[in-house]
Formats: sequence, structure tokens, C-alpha cells
Amino acid sequence: MNDLHAIVTDLAAGFVLGALTPDEERLVREHLASCPEPHAEFAELGGVIPYLAEAVEQIEPPASLRDRIMAAAAADLAARSTAAPSRPEAARPEPDAGPQRSGGVTPFPTAAQRAERARRRSPLTRVASLAAVLAIVALGAWNVTLQRDLEATRGYERGLSAVLDVAARPGSQTAILTPQSGAGPTGLAAVGPDGSVAIVMRGLAPTAGSEVYEAWVIGGDGTPVPIGGFSVGSAGTATFTADRTPATAGVTLVLTREPRPGALTPTMPIISLGTTPSS
Amino acid sequence: MSDTGDPRPSAPVAPEDADRAVLARVSAGELHALDELYERYRTMAYSIAYRITADETLAEDVVQEAFLGAWRNAGRYIEGRGSVKTWFLSIVHHRAVDAVRRRRPTTELPEREDLPPQALTLPDIWPEVAGRLDRDEVHAALARISDVQREAIELAYFSGLTQQEIAERTGTPLGTVKSRMRLGLLALRRTLVGEDGRGFGREEPRWADR
Repeated sequence: MNDLHAIVTDLAAGFVLGALTPDEERLVREHLASCPEPHAEFAELGGVIPYLAEAVEQIEPPASLRDRIMAAAAADLAARSTAAPSRPEAARPEPDAGPQRSGGVTPFPTAAQRAERARRRSPLTRVASLAAVLAIVALGAWNVTLQRDLEATRGYERGLSAVLDVAARPGSQTAILTPQSGAGPTGLAAVGPDGSVAIVMRGLAPTAGSEVYEAWVIGGDGTPVPIGGFSVGSAGTATFTADRTPATAGVTLVLTREPRPGALTPTMPIISLGTTPSS
Repeated sequence: MSDTGDPRPSAPVAPEDADRAVLARVSAGELHALDELYERYRTMAYSIAYRITADETLAEDVVQEAFLGAWRNAGRYIEGRGSVKTWFLSIVHHRAVDAVRRRRPTTELPEREDLPPQALTLPDIWPEVAGRLDRDEVHAALARISDVQREAIELAYFSGLTQQEIAERTGTPLGTVKSRMRLGLLALRRTLVGEDGRGFGREEPRWADR
């Protein structure tokens, strides 16, 4: 029995009770991982620990904790599936990837960019999108609640039910709207089978004067079609609905900020965008 | 959802096996499985976190971190080195202890690596015991060990003190603290488990009633 072996044995009780410093703990782990000798004392002493946990008065956590955890996990899942490049459009142009598009004329986002977005929408991504919906629903409500801004909370919740009403129809599809890079306004959109669109957003900068946020649909031909505008108050939340738009499966929904209503071509930059699944 | 129609197994499944199945699905990124894990262990996790932190908000954060840790690192659980329950319990305990140590201004401890422990039970199995004993029996066993042993164990496990801190707090030599923890645990083991270390209730599975 060498010295280290004896030292680690001496640390066994502290280890199983979690009473070691991180350095001591690391020492124990590393030794146990490589030591050819059995260290039966760890199992012997450690077997008691679950009893200690059992002795604690049992308390139920608040119900909201589950929502927080599930929302965070859903967001984590969504991030995981799209994690690789943070700015894929700029970093990895893939001209040949994805379904053929009929050469869009507008550079807004380019066909290659949209194809890239579509390509990345693997079945896994689609599952993740569902998760992201949950995440946005829960996290959004949660964050807004944290701000204790009743107006924003109510507005966001109303908007969510409007979107979920559309999303719940058979044949409808959802899209997560996010900024092209970094932090910014995010939201959830649903596109009904009849072309109806509902969008709820939060984190938008308030509009001033005649300014509006304009929603655009970009279909297979790459041309952005305006479907309506809305203004935003200090709460930063907004709900937008429109009927009989050209929106279908596989379209990209884009928000821009326009100096006045009725814009026919979008003013860059894109505030937030998302794509519905292509089938 | 494809997994709402899971046929329920007709025969009772040992909780250890069911846990492993759930954890495998968690590892594959199934949110529904995480929800199941949460259902199983939310009370245990929150209770121990609250006992250690004595703070509702902190306890919630600890439980959230622990479940997210399990969510992201379910693959680090190593079958055969202890039950999922013990593994998860050790994650919760670590997080809770970290939280109270961080809160204590006097402690100058480096951050632990931000990962849940490998199945903490290296290199042997910690027999699965919890749930097979009445809480009163555990309290009775705790009441039977010596006061100084109980104090050392409680300061370590529930107050998050290091053994060195326990020595300082109680004015006791470090070697004595180590002995008290060790002898206290062994005494508990004798009372709760039996002299030979066998008989963790495996002969009498109580999971059939779940």
C-alpha cells in the first residue's frame, strides 16, 4: 500500500459526505480511476449516504419549477441542434445545398441562405423546433413575468394564445423568429393551412412616429411580400395576425422596421426571421 | 407525440431498471424523458437542496441546475457504478453544497468543475437503499450514534462544510473529525444495513406497489 493509497483511504468518509475541497476531491477521483487496489471503504461508507438524504423532511417544489426546467432544457435542445456555426450564412456558404430555388432576384435573404436554413432543418431540427416553441412559450412568459410588467405579460400571453390557436389547426406550421445573429427580438409564428399568419414577438424596440414593423413572407421565388405592419409600445411585445397571405410550408417570415406603413421593399436590417418546415 | 402511447409493461419493473431506461432516453435528448425523471426525483432533489441551502430560491436554482446537468450529461452516468438515483442525488448534493459554499464569504474555495460527477460511486456500487426504509428508522439510527459523530456528519452533509472547516468550527483536530465521520457512517451502516453489509432490502422489493 503506497502513501497515496493510504491518503485517499483516509479521505473516504469526507469524499462520500461531500466534505472535501475540490482539490482533495480531484485527488480521490484520479486515484480511484487508476488504482489497481480495491477501495471497498468507498462503497461501504457511501452506501449510507442515500439514507441521509432519505432522512430529510420531504418538501414539494413549486409547480413553476418544472416549467422552468423543461423550458430551459427545450431551449438547450434547440441550441444544440443549431449550435455548430453561430453565423452559418456568413461562415459557410453552400451554394449547392438544399432544394432548387428559382433564382431569386432580391438579396433578402438569398436563396442560398434560405436553402441553407432549409437544409439545416433536418428531422432532428424539426423536433428541436417543437422544443423551441415550448421554450419560447415558457421562457417568454417567464422572463416577462420576471419584469413584473403586467401590460407586457398580458399582451404576450394574449399573443401566444392567438398564435397557438393558429398552430393548433391541422396542417398548420410554426416558426421560431430569431435575430440573424446575437441577441434581439424573438418570437413565435404560426402559419395556418389557409395562409393565415399569427406572430407574437417580445423584446422589440418601441416604434416612434409613423414607424412600423413590417412582416414579410418570402416564398420559393425569393420575393418578399409584405403582409402587414404593426407598431410597438414600451412593453416591447407585439401580436400580429393576417389572413389569406401567401404563406405556406417552407416560407421564411421576416420582420423589418420601416419608416412608415405600406413599404413595398424591405428596409434592412432584418430584425428577426424564421422559416416554416418545408413540408 | 409518438411516445404517448407507450404500452405499460404488465410486470413490475425494478425502479433501477426503469430509471436507467429513462436516463437513456434523456441522454438521447427526449424532453418527455426529462419530464419523467423530474416526476421521479423532484421531491427528493428539492428536499435535499432546501435542507442544505435553507433558501427556497437557492434550492430551486440548485434543482434546476441539477436536472439540466443530468439533461446535458446523462451520458456520463455509468451503469454498474451505482443507481441512477444515487448518481442524481450526488449531483444535487454537489450543487447544493457549492451554492452554500459560494454564499459563505469566509470560504475561499476554487470553483468545482462545472460538470456533474462521474457516477460518483467509483469504483464500486453503492447499493440502492433509499425508499426501503421508513424515515423514522433513519432518524432512530441517527439518534443512536454519538452526538459528536452525528454533528460531524451533519455539518459535512447538510451544512456543506469541508472536514477542515468542521475541525475549525468544533475546535477538534482534523484527524478526529475524519474518525468521527467514518465511525459515525459505519455505525449508521450497521444499524441500517446490518453487520454483514448485505440485505439492502433486495429480497423484499417494494416497487411493485408503484
